[in-house]
Amino acid sequence: MSTIDDSAAPGAGLAGTGLERRGLRLGDTLFRGVALAASAGSAFLLGWIAFKVLDLAWPSIEEFGLSFIWTDAWDPVTEQFGALAFVYGTALTSAIALVLAVPISIGIALFLTELAPRRVAAPIATMVELLAAIPSVVLGLWGILVFGPWVAQHLEPLLQNYLGFLPIFSGSPSQAGILPAALVLTIMIVPIASAICRELFLRVPRDLTDGALALGSTRWESIRGVTLAYAAPGIAAAVLLGLGRAFGEAIAVTQVIGGGNSINVSWFATGDTLASRIASQYQGATSQLQAGSILYLAAILMAISLVTNVVAQVIVRRFEKARRAA
Amino acid sequence: MKKALVATFALAALVAIALVSGRAAAAPAATQDTSLTGTGSSFVFPLVSKWIPAVGQAYGINLTYSLTGSGAGIAGVTARTVDFGASDAPLSADQLTACKSCVVIPWALSATSIPYNVPGLGGRLRIDGATLSNIYLGKITNWNDAAIKKLNPKLSLPNLKITPVFRSDSSGTTYNFTEYLSSVSSEFRSKVGNNTAVNFPTGVGARGSAGVAGVVSKTEGALTYVDVAYSLTNHFTFAAIKNRAGAYALPGLRGIKQAVSQLPKKVTSLSQLKIVDPPKSAGKQAYPISTFTYVIVPTNSKSAGDVRKLVYWAVTQGQQFGPPLLFQPLPVTVQAFAYREIKKIQGV
Repeated sequence: MSTIDDSAAPGAGLAGTGLERRGLRLGDTLFRGVALAASAGSAFLLGWIAFKVLDLAWPSIEEFGLSFIWTDAWDPVTEQFGALAFVYGTALTSAIALVLAVPISIGIALFLTELAPRRVAAPIATMVELLAAIPSVVLGLWGILVFGPWVAQHLEPLLQNYLGFLPIFSGSPSQAGILPAALVLTIMIVPIASAICRELFLRVPRDLTDGALALGSTRWESIRGVTLAYAAPGIAAAVLLGLGRAFGEAIAVTQVIGGGNSINVSWFATGDTLASRIASQYQGATSQLQAGSILYLAAILMAISLVTNVVAQVIVRRFEKARRAA
Repeated sequence: MKKALVATFALAALVAIALVSGRAAAAPAATQDTSLTGTGSSFVFPLVSKWIPAVGQAYGINLTYSLTGSGAGIAGVTARTVDFGASDAPLSADQLTACKSCVVIPWALSATSIPYNVPGLGGRLRIDGATLSNIYLGKITNWNDAAIKKLNPKLSLPNLKITPVFRSDSSGTTYNFTEYLSSVSSEFRSKVGNNTAVNFPTGVGARGSAGVAGVVSKTEGALTYVDVAYSLTNHFTFAAIKNRAGAYALPGLRGIKQAVSQLPKKVTSLSQLKIVDPPKSAGKQAYPISTFTYVIVPTNSKSAGDVRKLVYWAVTQGQQFGPPLLFQPLPVTVQAFAYREIKKIQGV
């Protein structure tokens, strides 16, 4: 009896742990499977989308070759297509938007983390972030009805008055064009960039800034020497994230850029970006070649976004390395 | 670990349940009635949206229509992802070949209006095709231009820059408008041409009817083209256009009706349905920028029987929904042409 009991007890115990172990293993396998499937799935999806875009763009790639990228033409009637005007429009609007948005975002973030009393900072931070919650199509509508006319009636005449000797501010003011589009993009980038910058500044170790202040530096010196330096890689990443947003924004830009087909020196003139052109004309493309050309634009946009992302990662890594070395 | 596992399972189960119940909910709706899907032209959408409940009552056809633009309508029916496509531009020879045994049937008739925003004019603007094409070619740039003054001796035309506004997306309205300008101006035809999207040498582009309307309402001196139903519902002032009879016509039902009055007694091909710039004999009220809009149907599909019913209903009883929306009912000759084409929809 006792021997049976003795053998049964450890036996039961063993069986229990065995089940437990098996259960664990099952969980592990399952978890691994799910994780693997998810990551492999997204990698596959990226590859598949890229392949499909190129596949559908093939009629245009075959017809125009690489010269499509530096050809300035878009005429659905004669079926002459080229991407240059849209690459230019994308680069210019994004560049203007970034140049304006970065200092504003850093300014907002510094104000909220360093200068403003907490009672003021919290509601302002929320409001700035809520700005990002405005759907881009709504922002575009506001662009058509309110912002565009304001730009045409007040901002552009002002710029022309004082800086009219610059060719970029020549021509007649217009409520739809490169400048209104760039300004709408600025409004879209600021909330994201400033939210990221605020997080970055909050994470700067307190003892570093305290140290700087203790050594007799002024507030600005401590911000410049410690806060900004410490957050630099993050800021670079935030900038590139904003750039990605600017590149890809289609609807709001379509509504305010004026759908021009050619390159103009003046920022008041109409233009178009890659994303905006894809959004506005894909559905109505009347020929295989036009549909293919629009997908060719999509391929270019994807390539530009990919390069920006890679560059962002390289910059962040280099900053990290430099900081670790220092 | 165990908790996480349970949570994962619970989540998976929830997703599965949601999927299954979603399917289950969707299934009976699909089998209850016959359902047809169509896509394309936004020009015809106000009319189609009136047809949807009516055709549901008449035949139990559950009709779904998405307004994606004429090009998408053609692409959709060519790829057979929808039961029919709708386009304001008739199919080109290449598109017809690509569509593989499709028929193109005229199923609605309306016009494009020319709204403008010029303050203090003191009357309705009159304009002709030559002046309109010169404005869109960038050759006439000011409202006090002699060419406009000559047509409007009674109006006080201001010294104001003309801002021509066009659709930056592809649209049937652009097709109709450039079809008209191309037929009245050889320069416009050779420099710009006729399509759902063209390369206008000047002006400001905006997206959709609402987009161009927004720009025009906010820009003094602007002028554009939108379908007449949109113009009327939004209370725009639009121009009277000079026709071949030398009179100034408005895009009302009577104007559209006269524009189609000179069609041949027996319509045998789509090319005869080009009704922009109608001949002098059409009448003094004939509006020069009118257009048919088309439905494109594959002749051999599983849903052919239902589509045939739908299109037949649309070109007959469906027409009565048109006038309040400024769609002129199809003339009898065009209806007869439509019947002959509908007969080709045979099914498999």
